[in-house]
Amino acid sequence: MNALVFPLQGLTIIVCLGVLLHLQFGRTGIVNFGVVGFSGLGMYTTGILVVNYEVPFALALLIATALTGLVAFLLGLLILNLESEAVLVATLAFSTIVFYLVTSESWLTEGVVGLGTVPRPFDVGDTSTSQLLFLLVLVAIAAALLVYAARLQHAPYGRLLFSIQDNETLSRSLGKPTFRHKLVFFTVTCAAMGAIGGLDASVNQFLVPRLLTADLTFVVWIALVLGGRKRVFGAVLGTLLTVGIFDIVIELYVDVPREFAQQLPNVQLMLFGLTLILVILFRPQGLLGERRRKPQDSPTAESRKKVQA
Amino acid sequence: MTGASSATRPPGSPAAGAKTLHLHDVHKHYGGRTVVDIDDLVLGAHGIEGLIGPNGAGKTTLMKLITHVVSPDRGRIEYHSPDGTVLLTQHSPDAIARMGVVKTNQVIQDFESLTIRESLLLSLAGAEQEKFYKVLRDKAFLRRADQEIDEYLDIFTFQDPDGRAGSAGEKKLLDILRCLLLKPRFLLMDEPTAGLPQEETDKVMELMRTKTQETDLSILIIEHDLDLIWGTCEFVHFMAEGEILLQGTPSDVRSNATVAEKYLGASHA
Repeated sequence: MNALVFPLQGLTIIVCLGVLLHLQFGRTGIVNFGVVGFSGLGMYTTGILVVNYEVPFALALLIATALTGLVAFLLGLLILNLESEAVLVATLAFSTIVFYLVTSESWLTEGVVGLGTVPRPFDVGDTSTSQLLFLLVLVAIAAALLVYAARLQHAPYGRLLFSIQDNETLSRSLGKPTFRHKLVFFTVTCAAMGAIGGLDASVNQFLVPRLLTADLTFVVWIALVLGGRKRVFGAVLGTLLTVGIFDIVIELYVDVPREFAQQLPNVQLMLFGLTLILVILFRPQGLLGERRRKPQDSPTAESRKKVQA
Repeated sequence: MTGASSATRPPGSPAAGAKTLHLHDVHKHYGGRTVVDIDDLVLGAHGIEGLIGPNGAGKTTLMKLITHVVSPDRGRIEYHSPDGTVLLTQHSPDAIARMGVVKTNQVIQDFESLTIRESLLLSLAGAEQEKFYKVLRDKAFLRRADQEIDEYLDIFTFQDPDGRAGSAGEKKLLDILRCLLLKPRFLLMDEPTAGLPQEETDKVMELMRTKTQETDLSILIIEHDLDLIWGTCEFVHFMAEGEILLQGTPSDVRSNATVAEKYLGASHA
């Protein structure tokens, strides 16, 4: 059981980031290819504050969230008006900058030596109980994000985001200040990614730049695209099928011969790439497909249907 | 079209709470080709005005200049309303829409992810509802919105208001209804009837007449269906090669030799 807790924590982190990416990309059409840049910024800010400056974890997390939001706001101000290809490149470049800053500024981040130990946000005395409790907290956060994403589908703000993704010019012609909305939403969701990254610091406990490579971005993207980018549970399904199978099922329960075990991470990334190609070729909307269209449960919709029948 | 007399407002007199668009020296060219070249033009002095002219006359570009989807090379576009005068060229397209100057689309535009009803709800929701933290059901808004939407759905029939707009006609109609739900004060309609069945066209125009009479809405229509123009508009602007060549009542414009030659062809003369 204990062996399961750590990978499950990591998996829940991916789910959280996946739901946030669903909100950015699946709902609003913002092609954020720098997920790890935002989560990494939150992760290292939290780690530095807690380890080097002995700031209480909760306060550090709060500062990290705000800082990530601020950076996302400034970046969004520059790029959110551009074509989606440009947004993709700019966000990817941003995450690369974060990676190299963390690597090179070792006076602050300890560089490749690593920064640690980041404690858990709370401790109930017994380590394994604390770990389990922390996992439950993460699951609760993932659930909250899912509930938010699900509610948003039927809220005015959700319709607004869809309209921006589908036809921004038309949305503007209906009086919607689309750029401002994109900027606000990008800031908020990136800040949330920073918060998730801050919690991830506590999951990893020991921070090294390797945690901030683009691999994490790709894993989140593949999970979301495989599951269904427009669907609330797309990120959950995709994460279970990718990270779940590799980092948990194969890692813990499959007896891989020693000579292959070393190759496993590489094989994993290759398979993820292949999956992405296949999904885009044969099922671009992901396994869950298009957003289901359940009739709006408005008070009058039913009665009108009867009249028409 | 219906032959019913539509003009109940005395022709030539501005409506109560008049809103007009005043274009001064507005010029737009693409490459070496001048698309719009207007010295001085007042739109909206009558309830429903028509804008006619041959293809490529610059009619649609003129509307896009007004809503600032296209920026003019030079010139000023003023919007006079009871609230004061605004220079539209200094505002963004969305700000202009919020001021009440709204344009329907000639080419079909739609939101693929939204059902007809959701699309109409989008129109009705304002900045107050559209906050990222407002995800709980807003019953008061929904009730009010449903009422307004049903008013239109009682007049116009969609196959399934809770599904996506299917036919081109439905999308075109949806485009017009979205604009109407914004409660515009100055509505620019770019070929509203292209792609609409005749029956729906009649209903749309009937509604437009009622709206201009009962509310302070002003409308400018681009249309190639000239019977509709003669039957509906109180005042007509004739545009060709980027310039307004002629203005007047439908009968004046209809009988003019230039219009006959440049646009209507011999059969109409």
